[in-house]
Amino acid sequence: MISLPVLATILAMAAVTYLTRIGGYLVLRNRTLGPRATAVMEAAPGCVLIAVIAPHFVSPRPADLLALAITFLAALRLPMLAVVPIGIVAAAGLRWLLG
Amino acid sequence: MTIETCAPAAMPGDGPSELRSNPRPEFMRGLVASLPVTAGFVPFALVLGAQAGQKGLSALETPLMTGLNFAGGSEFAAIGLWTSPPHLALITAVTLMVNSRHLLMGAALAPFLKALPKRRVLPALFLMCDESWAMALADARSRKTFSLAHYMGVALPMWLAWIAFTTLGALVGPVLGDVETLGFDMAFPAIFLVLLRGMWTGLRAARPWLVSLAVAATGHLLAPGAWTVAAGAIAGLATAWLWAAPRKTGAAA
Repeated sequence: MISLPVLATILAMAAVTYLTRIGGYLVLRNRTLGPRATAVMEAAPGCVLIAVIAPHFVSPRPADLLALAITFLAALRLPMLAVVPIGIVAAAGLRWLLG
Repeated sequence: MTIETCAPAAMPGDGPSELRSNPRPEFMRGLVASLPVTAGFVPFALVLGAQAGQKGLSALETPLMTGLNFAGGSEFAAIGLWTSPPHLALITAVTLMVNSRHLLMGAALAPFLKALPKRRVLPALFLMCDESWAMALADARSRKTFSLAHYMGVALPMWLAWIAFTTLGALVGPVLGDVETLGFDMAFPAIFLVLLRGMWTGLRAARPWLVSLAVAATGHLLAPGAWTVAAGAIAGLATAWLWAAPRKTGAAA
């Protein structure tokens, strides 16, 4: 069920991923950051998140762009539990309507 | 919400910040907050598991990967590159590149973890993914303190769901069909947009986000791939660095 090359690859992936998870903490845990570094750290979460979903903003399908706009408007006001189903239903419905 | 306080001592996250109170309500608060996000994991996990199954990974190897690695982007990339036998060096290098953002994420969380001992933080960071990190950081910023029990409540369901549904995907992959037509892929932008709203402190502070968005989106149009995430994030952070007022006093949030 588990072959050796597969196991080795999975363990190597797991090792480098865990190192990325603890690396930032271990390096910075006992330091106080200056204003520029603080600004970078405050911007980091938003920058990473928006970079991950950036492809959705330039989708070639009008249905997807419209669904994203609806999701965006919903996200301005509504809680997570409402925004996620709205996004899914909007995407499914608009793809069905517009292709 | 109020949860019955019946079992005090040994919850996963009772740290110095929770010495006063029982960690269970904190864990439950995290658990409840986590559920809609965890539900958003399900379609991605099914798709990833299905792709892994089609590449020949067994229903044991798939959860081994998704459970030990627990970073979806790198797993999609790895499965995309998977051959039999897999190219270890290539896949490890790609995994490192896709997950290098964790370094920044851990660094952003570090100031809130100073009160906790390393022996608690290091195992907990194993469960730090984009979503658990963003939720923990937003919570720590709004409450001015990091709650390890809340973090565990947020992250554990995500991890368990990721393992369970990638396994299911690997088992039922061939009969699943196209999940995208059903609209489930809109769950991630929806989750991330709500998280971004929670981090919003004004247009000025959000200018680096727009740079990240523009660079990552342009990169995606030119040459789609995992590199666009790194390029977008780095461009935004460079912007934050350049626009930060160097003489601003202290590290006021």
